[in-house]
Amino acid sequence: MNNETGNSCPMPSCPDNYGTMPSCAGLAVPYVPFQQTGSKKYSQTDALSNGTLFPGLNLPFHLMVEGSALPSTPLVELQALEFVVLELGTYLDTHPDDTEAFELFKQYSAMEQSAKATYESKFGPITKASAASGSTYRWLQEPWPWNYQQNEVK
Amino acid sequence: MFIYEKKLQFPVKISTPNPKLAAFIISQYGGPDGELGASMRYLSQRYSMPYAEAKGLLTDIGTEELGHMEMVAAIVHQLTRNLTDEQVRNNPSFAPYFVDHTTGVYPTAASGFPWSAASIQSTGDVIADLTEDLAADGAMA
Repeated sequence: MNNETGNSCPMPSCPDNYGTMPSCAGLAVPYVPFQQTGSKKYSQTDALSNGTLFPGLNLPFHLMVEGSALPSTPLVELQALEFVVLELGTYLDTHPDDTEAFELFKQYSAMEQSAKATYESKFGPITKASAASGSTYRWLQEPWPWNYQQNEVK
Repeated sequence: MFIYEKKLQFPVKISTPNPKLAAFIISQYGGPDGELGASMRYLSQRYSMPYAEAKGLLTDIGTEELGHMEMVAAIVHQLTRNLTDEQVRNNPSFAPYFVDHTTGVYPTAASGFPWSAASIQSTGDVIADLTEDLAADGAMA
């Protein structure tokens, strides 16, 4: 938010889990280090299992280092792609000029769109809009996402 | 506006129900630093946010929190399915919840205090709002 205030890094090159701070900061207001442009990124599966796309932002509860073990199902693959798109989207909100991240955002959005279409053609609609493209109305078909069966291996 | 996606953000598949655990986890749904509070906090604060970056962030994160709400609700729902009479009666943590809500998912804190907007703030002041967000999300991300 404060690119114009002259962010400066406290070290010649900050490690990825450190951010930058303004060199001259107003008194009596709190500051949070600003995530560096070009931060390292996890693969999509590691991102979903760790709950963040960025290793520098992975601050696990009680320092438990392992992410969750995820089953390899069509749904999880779609969830992983969507998570990367979501994470890149929020990163770009504060780093809109990071062209490399924007390219990745475009790439992953396209992959997600195509994975979603494939998933829906096999397992039924995820959005109301895609419910309109079937030959019958399949929106009400089981399972609903909160049902135990939703995440069974298909 | 918002459009629903008929899937969770992250898989929830709990094979062993555990009503005692559900009585704790419900706070992440409707407690003071739960997901409902988080969505309402971000989605309400964005209107007085002067910076595009922060309008975008509050909108996107507030929306994501709605998805977190759904996952936490799914956890509570699965932890309380197929309960026996005994599992409810002999459970001092879950029994009080069951009296009013049975196995319905209700936005409340673990203490039994129902979700309240008194646990969030929207001041119209950028620094005050963002500082509150740090405190709330730091308490439970």
